[in-house]
Amino acid sequence: MFIELIQQILNGLVVGSVYTLIALGLTVIFGILGIAHFAHGSVAMFGGYLTHALMQRMGVNILLAMVPAMLVGALLGMLIERLAYRPVRAGPPINAFIVALGLTMVIEKLNLLLFGVDQVVLPTPFGRTLEWGEWAMPELRIYVFVIAVLLVLALTLFMHRTWMGASIRAVAQNRSAAVLMGVNVNRVSSIVFALSSALGVAAGVLIGALFAIAPGVSGGLVIKGFAVLILGGLGSIPGAIVGGLILGVSEALAAGFVSSAYKDVISFVIMIAVLLLRPEGLMRRKT
Amino acid sequence: MQKKTMAVLVLLALVAALPQVLQVKYFIHLAVLAMLWAMVAQGTNFIQGYAGYVSIVQGGFMGVGAYSSAWLSMNTGLPVWLAFVAAPLCTAVVALCVGYPSLRVKGHYFAIVTMAFNMVIFIFLVNAIGLTGGESGLSRIPAPPGFTLLGQEVDFQNRAHYYYLVLLALVCSSVLAAWLVRSRAGRIWQAIRQNEMYTEALGVATWRYKLLAFVASALYAGSAGALYAHYVGFINPTPFSVDASMNAILAVILGGSATLSGPMVGAVLVVALPEMLRIAETFRFIAYGVLLMLAVMYFPRGLVPMLAGWFRPGQ
Repeated sequence: MFIELIQQILNGLVVGSVYTLIALGLTVIFGILGIAHFAHGSVAMFGGYLTHALMQRMGVNILLAMVPAMLVGALLGMLIERLAYRPVRAGPPINAFIVALGLTMVIEKLNLLLFGVDQVVLPTPFGRTLEWGEWAMPELRIYVFVIAVLLVLALTLFMHRTWMGASIRAVAQNRSAAVLMGVNVNRVSSIVFALSSALGVAAGVLIGALFAIAPGVSGGLVIKGFAVLILGGLGSIPGAIVGGLILGVSEALAAGFVSSAYKDVISFVIMIAVLLLRPEGLMRRKT
Repeated sequence: MQKKTMAVLVLLALVAALPQVLQVKYFIHLAVLAMLWAMVAQGTNFIQGYAGYVSIVQGGFMGVGAYSSAWLSMNTGLPVWLAFVAAPLCTAVVALCVGYPSLRVKGHYFAIVTMAFNMVIFIFLVNAIGLTGGESGLSRIPAPPGFTLLGQEVDFQNRAHYYYLVLLALVCSSVLAAWLVRSRAGRIWQAIRQNEMYTEALGVATWRYKLLAFVASALYAGSAGALYAHYVGFINPTPFSVDASMNAILAVILGGSATLSGPMVGAVLVVALPEMLRIAETFRFIAYGVLLMLAVMYFPRGLVPMLAGWFRPGQ
């Protein structure tokens, strides 16, 4: 019982690290541009499928295919920002919202058109299971966790150690002041979308390696991303990290001890509970 | 005003004559669907158009209405007519339970929570197999019993006859909607959309009115769902996913939010456009999504207000 509990928690942390990747992309976009980017889950699915296609066509392994897929993802993100969101940026927020919904529809169906309807598992060379007495851990999960942590670290370093990162944080804090200081908001938006879409692609790949990707997965993924944001506080990077891990662990525990059919309902329950008890999120002080 | 009433009556007469003119049964079917979507869109308009909150759960509410009506009439022996009344009430109760916590938050948060709720409904419909039949759904849902009216046999197995039932429901719900949006509640909804903080500062308990808009929208979606279930005789979870909620949102946007005729025009478009765009299943949804984005970018007020603007150049 105890060992099972710990193992479920470890599994949850692995899945949670992937949720964190999704949520980071969403939170950066939300914090800086105030857009609820509903199509983020579809972008992640696109990345997973693209990586799979690259692996098959070119016969490369998952790590080699993931890098170009992330680059394509970054370009796609910039394209989305330019064509879909920039034209409605000046309008009322509801417009950006509807655009996000339309965009979700388009990317979702483009995925179907480009990659078909099949459920796909990304093959990896990490098939062993590590065992220590009663403990067992598939090697793959460790790699997934490490990759996710490295990406999160890379993003944090970028935000805090580079000039561009400083401009992004400046826009998040006060857009007009940033403009007065000579920050090019269009460029910042573009970079933010590139970064978060690349992270989303990575998340899609990791999910494809851990479980499987299928056309219907994106909606659930984006909802989980938002659940993490609500849990951690919209626009907060530490909130997204902690929130992702909490959601992953709660889901794993719910699947292990309650019912796996309803494990996806957990994110909704958490969302409602947080909204009722602490609407500003766990990591945010009330302003 | 007199002119407007005349126009509405003429239009109504035309719609009523439609089954006599349309020889292809499929067109009658599309017309029924359009009217059902018009009901859903009219409800969506309360919360989205008037109160200014995007709710992404209307598809789920249609599902709640459809399943509760089908289940009640099949398992409890409740007459279909009573099931038509009970189903929207069930939906409203569900909406009350969701609306209360989710309406504590604004804007994006609200939309996200409602969308999550649509997914919860969907997961429930798929997994509660004992109640809903899971993926394979419920079949052989009875049509309401027929009767004889002025010596004429009325049989609801017949599409054309069901058409009039749906038309009646649409007319009643539109009249109710017209009254509702002109009432105090309707004006407060619009005030909330304009400036919620200011409205609250005037001493209005805005959350009550938002909840009213949300529950009313659920009543409309639930009724349409129930009418749909007994019309097609078979339901499974597929038509009640988030995609359906998107359709409702699209109908309101395309037709024109915060107008009475807008959602109806939008609903017709939502049913007709995919039919006209029948290139391939996936292509048409891409076209549809692009259309949605272009509509928001280039005519965000919707078709009806835009056309009205053309005819009244002075304003």
